[in-house]
Amino acid sequence: MHETTAFVGTPNSGKSTLFNVLTGMRQKVGNFPGVTLEPALGEIGNKPNSNTVLDLPGIYSLDPISPDEELASSVLYGTNPHIPKPSRILFIMDATSIEKGLFLYSQISNLGIPIIIAVTMVDSVKAQGGVFDDIALERILNVPIIPVVGHKGIGLEEVQRMIADATYFIIPDPLFATADIKERILWARATTKEVLSLPQLNAFSTTLDKVLLHPIGGIAIFLSVMVLFFQSIFSWASPLMDLIETLFGNMQEQVAYLLPQGIIADFISRGLIAGVGSVIVFLPQILLLNIIIVILEDCGYLARAAFLVDRFMGIFGLQGRSFIPLLGSFACAIPGIMSARIIPSHRERMATMLIAPLMTCSARLPVYTLLISAFIPTTLIWGFFSLQAAVLAGLYIIAALVGLFIALIMKKTVFKGDITPFLIEFPPYRMPSLKSLLVTVYDRSKDFLTSAGTVIVTLSIILWFLSAFPRVDFPPETSTIVQQQMQLEQSYAGSLGKVIEPLFAPLGFDWKLTIGIIGSFAAREVFVTVMGQLYATDTSLGDESLRQILYNSIPLASALSVLAFYVFALQCISTMAILKRETGSWKWPAFAFAYTFVLAYMFAFATYRITLALIS
Amino acid sequence: MNICDLAVGTEAILEGFSTDSPFTRRLQEMGLIPGTIIRLIRKSPFKGPIEIAFGYTRMALRPYSEDKIYVTELLNK
Repeated sequence: MHETTAFVGTPNSGKSTLFNVLTGMRQKVGNFPGVTLEPALGEIGNKPNSNTVLDLPGIYSLDPISPDEELASSVLYGTNPHIPKPSRILFIMDATSIEKGLFLYSQISNLGIPIIIAVTMVDSVKAQGGVFDDIALERILNVPIIPVVGHKGIGLEEVQRMIADATYFIIPDPLFATADIKERILWARATTKEVLSLPQLNAFSTTLDKVLLHPIGGIAIFLSVMVLFFQSIFSWASPLMDLIETLFGNMQEQVAYLLPQGIIADFISRGLIAGVGSVIVFLPQILLLNIIIVILEDCGYLARAAFLVDRFMGIFGLQGRSFIPLLGSFACAIPGIMSARIIPSHRERMATMLIAPLMTCSARLPVYTLLISAFIPTTLIWGFFSLQAAVLAGLYIIAALVGLFIALIMKKTVFKGDITPFLIEFPPYRMPSLKSLLVTVYDRSKDFLTSAGTVIVTLSIILWFLSAFPRVDFPPETSTIVQQQMQLEQSYAGSLGKVIEPLFAPLGFDWKLTIGIIGSFAAREVFVTVMGQLYATDTSLGDESLRQILYNSIPLASALSVLAFYVFALQCISTMAILKRETGSWKWPAFAFAYTFVLAYMFAFATYRITLALIS
Repeated sequence: MNICDLAVGTEAILEGFSTDSPFTRRLQEMGLIPGTIIRLIRKSPFKGPIEIAFGYTRMALRPYSEDKIYVTELLNK
């Protein structure tokens, strides 16, 4: 590999914003310690391969205490098996918290790697009535210093020009080759006094914190933010999702209209278009969730939210940072699991990701709506509370509580170890950089489409194959709906349903319900479609008739058992794919699938038996 | 006294730590070395995390663990 320049700095130093603005590609920034979990590569300049830059996770010191810090220091020491030691360092210091930057610099200076320093937030120092003396710092350290304001573009051209020219980089004088922490901090503190005068703490942040961290008011605001967050992901994303579904539905109709009826048309419409559509349909929620989370992170609120919920999450062996991924998973586990990257501790991140699929995502809603409206009477409890709504709310609450309880069990067994003490720096509140936001959201969405998307499309095609083969010869004059029904019943998927039926018989599922479960292995909402096909009604005409047919043909105990099954079962290939990517192995999605299946089976069995006992 | 026994709003001088752990080392690397003057900004209910300020840094930590942080209260600042 040719020469690379590593971006090194403390968390919240503005390092990743600078990286995003300079490269405009693959990277994640956050006003939240520890977001950059994997190093991002980028190019600066117009010539391809001219200047490769590498953004390392933010670190406080070269002695790591978490996996992301481990990665950064192993790269810098040249001991990382995958990433070669960088040939140059762009060191980033935040002027408003320069003492921590200088401490880290005192360690970095011993690596013997040529360096230049960019000092960020010089505008904040001015705004607070302070002075930062970059000339004095340059004289003390003997290394080039460039003041920059990333989101305003100040100093960027200079950084770009200097990165392009190796001669600007200087090997620093090594500071205290053997000094202990205290000696380095005392040096950093003394140096800070020489280069920075900052009369006051950030008054705006202090005042805002009085409100946002108030024991009662702060919690109330936090809950309102969460309700808004939750609500917006459902209400703002759903029109777009409907639009995408309609578009893909139209495409399928076009195919049916243009191509002669047969296996090719069926493959294109129900295999390929349906597969791609099932990926694209997640995009609005992923975009929206990421935009909201990135804004909350970059403005500094997420660190405060973590503070507010830390105690509650502590009951379940998790910490404050676990809250955001779990909340996001109520919309969709995919962006939720992706956002678990904000948790620095490996054990807590794993426990959080593995219980994320138990949070009730929006794909379960079509199944819940269908079964609840078919089987739960529209009576009111105490005269005003809808029984149907109560059942729906109950399903959400049971799933969340069981999830937190599973996290507790995992923290006591699989992810057993010393408790990672909660420690988080409060960055000052800042205006998020729009360019950085766009780059981040674009990258995450692209990431999802390329890595999860490929898996989803492939598996959708496999499922199509199982339901389309072997081909059935229809007697003449059979209607399309009856043809579909016969095809599904006699396909590999249908035979599989009958073979597997004994496994689900204790739960009260017949072979039709079993095919519904198998068919919705790729995505839960497919259950509704499969039920429609099996019970020979046209689901596109509204599910009123389907409800009636289901009510007449499925016993109540079986219906409730199916509901209980969907509360827990991980019937989502996309979630499995993203879990594989985020944990780096198929072992964990397999584990998640297995334990949720056991839970689903147990709860469905209990529901079935109890309902039967109550009815008789 | 331990840091969480401080009253909200009081200043104290950091004396040392009960253990030498990654957690207490990290606190020192962030600038919390003995002799540093800190201020307890807020506590959260039910023994939740506390917020402290020193120098230009503000941080939240959950101090109710093995790692005690010893401080001496400054009476008149």
